[in-house]
Amino acid sequence: MNTARRQATSPLGLGLLVAASLLSACRGGTGTPALSGAPAPVPNVVMLVVDAGPTGAGGAINHAYVTVNVCASGSQTQCANIDHVLLDTGSNGLRLVASVLAAHTIALKPLSDSAGNTLEECMSFVGGQTWGAVALADIHLAGETAAKVPVQVMNDTSSGAPPPANCGANGTLINAVSGFAANGVLGVGVFEQDCGQSCVAAATPLPLYYGCTAAGVCTAENVPLTDQVANPVALFAGDNNGVIVTLPNLQSANGDPSVQGTLVFGISTQSDNALPSSGIAVLGTDAAGDFRTAYNGAATGIPGLIDSGTDSYAFSDPAIAVCASGAFVGYYCPAVAPLSLSAVNTGVGANATSSTVDFALADPNSFVAGATAFIDLGGGGGSTTFTWGMPFFYGRAIYVGIDQRAAGLYTGPYYAY
Amino acid sequence: MLQNRNMAIRLIRLGFVSLGLAVALDPTAFASLGGDAASIDADAASMRGTPITHLSPAYTVREIAGDSSMDVREFSNARGVVFAVSWSGPVFPDLRLLLGSYFGRYASALAALDHPGSRRSVRIAAPQIVVESSGHLRAYRGLAYLPAELPAGVTSTELQ
Repeated sequence: MNTARRQATSPLGLGLLVAASLLSACRGGTGTPALSGAPAPVPNVVMLVVDAGPTGAGGAINHAYVTVNVCASGSQTQCANIDHVLLDTGSNGLRLVASVLAAHTIALKPLSDSAGNTLEECMSFVGGQTWGAVALADIHLAGETAAKVPVQVMNDTSSGAPPPANCGANGTLINAVSGFAANGVLGVGVFEQDCGQSCVAAATPLPLYYGCTAAGVCTAENVPLTDQVANPVALFAGDNNGVIVTLPNLQSANGDPSVQGTLVFGISTQSDNALPSSGIAVLGTDAAGDFRTAYNGAATGIPGLIDSGTDSYAFSDPAIAVCASGAFVGYYCPAVAPLSLSAVNTGVGANATSSTVDFALADPNSFVAGATAFIDLGGGGGSTTFTWGMPFFYGRAIYVGIDQRAAGLYTGPYYAY
Repeated sequence: MLQNRNMAIRLIRLGFVSLGLAVALDPTAFASLGGDAASIDADAASMRGTPITHLSPAYTVREIAGDSSMDVREFSNARGVVFAVSWSGPVFPDLRLLLGSYFGRYASALAALDHPGSRRSVRIAAPQIVVESSGHLRAYRGLAYLPAELPAGVTSTELQ
């Protein structure tokens, strides 16, 4: 059995300061009562790493990973540090590939609905869908703990329920680490739950959550907020109003072998996570999690988001050539590189700031083989969303504020930089 | 699909506007891409139609807003062939229904795509069909069209 019940930290280390703070917050049941004065701040930083991904990922690029300590809910022994979990600011909730959990001999207990049926979910990423049970886990990240968190077990048919026909039909199911380039995904977007109120009391339940009988018959159903797959950060005792993602500038225009950054929990809750009072663009989002982006002088914006789960600036511009060959087929291959571009982000609602972003696209055929972090990679032809993917994160601190949670003068949902 | 066609005809109250002129309830069931290959399944029974107006003489648009907040538009050319379908909604649509007999081509091309980093947008150009799909939970959008059936002078970018 795996008895690892330790902080989820990267083996690469964060430096003495963080390492010391992690040690000072060691759990394991003994606790660390303050000896005198004010209680020590909760360690709230974990390392991010951009590298080629877990074994079997097939060489990921522009994927930022964290290590997450996961326990079967209530267990002190069924725990493991799951490495290479994709950090995703564009979704909400923790999802782990079933085979990875099995390799760590962790069995998460599926939730049952009010009828006693197993609660399962069909979550769609645009490139494919995941099917699996909603189960409870205790999640530890740095010194933060979220207990009894509904998470999704990806590719889980252990309950005997195969996906419904409209979930991942004909090979569009993401069913392994290789298809996802990660052992799971940690969604730390702008919402507390993945679906929210739309899945609570719909006259016709959305085809997202399903109740599955023992015979494996699954029917779409409404689910209370407390049972929906949840953003773990929102369930921390403190530091629960959002996250800050920080990655350094890249060293080479043609790709870096790997990059390290930080994921900080909380915004303006501790001395290490202040939201600056000036020089920052705070972009409120709509109820779907999008602000507005007007690209290349467009009069009106389209939905936009800042998304660490996307490897590129993903937007549609039919005037830019698309790579027809090489390792980056389907991405943009501008005829003259770097291609300078611009877009204006505007917040929605109370946080309605506008911010002009100048960016550039490189010719990915100039990228060096074996590198995993690339600045100025573009793609997304045909998209009606403007996705500020990983290239936007390099050299910035990105603030992700959770819906209805205040941080200083600002209340989520918002993205800020 | 096909076997539910009559039910769909009875229960879908579909507004229909063409060439800027309002026309009576459309006599045909909502069809998936390619027109006569398939029509929407029994889920359509709970859908209601919303008339929309456009001035293009090249095609007809019909819009269905379903109970799951999924907004679907189909674009028909002068021969009555559904040459494009667009969607917008909080959950990912059932593309088997919208793409009909073309779904297999889409699925095969998607499976062959080796871009795990494209979690929010995908463009599939398979034989005879193009699918442009983007967004995330709470807000997915997309368009599928048959390039060979596009009316003269019509580009995909105007089909949203």
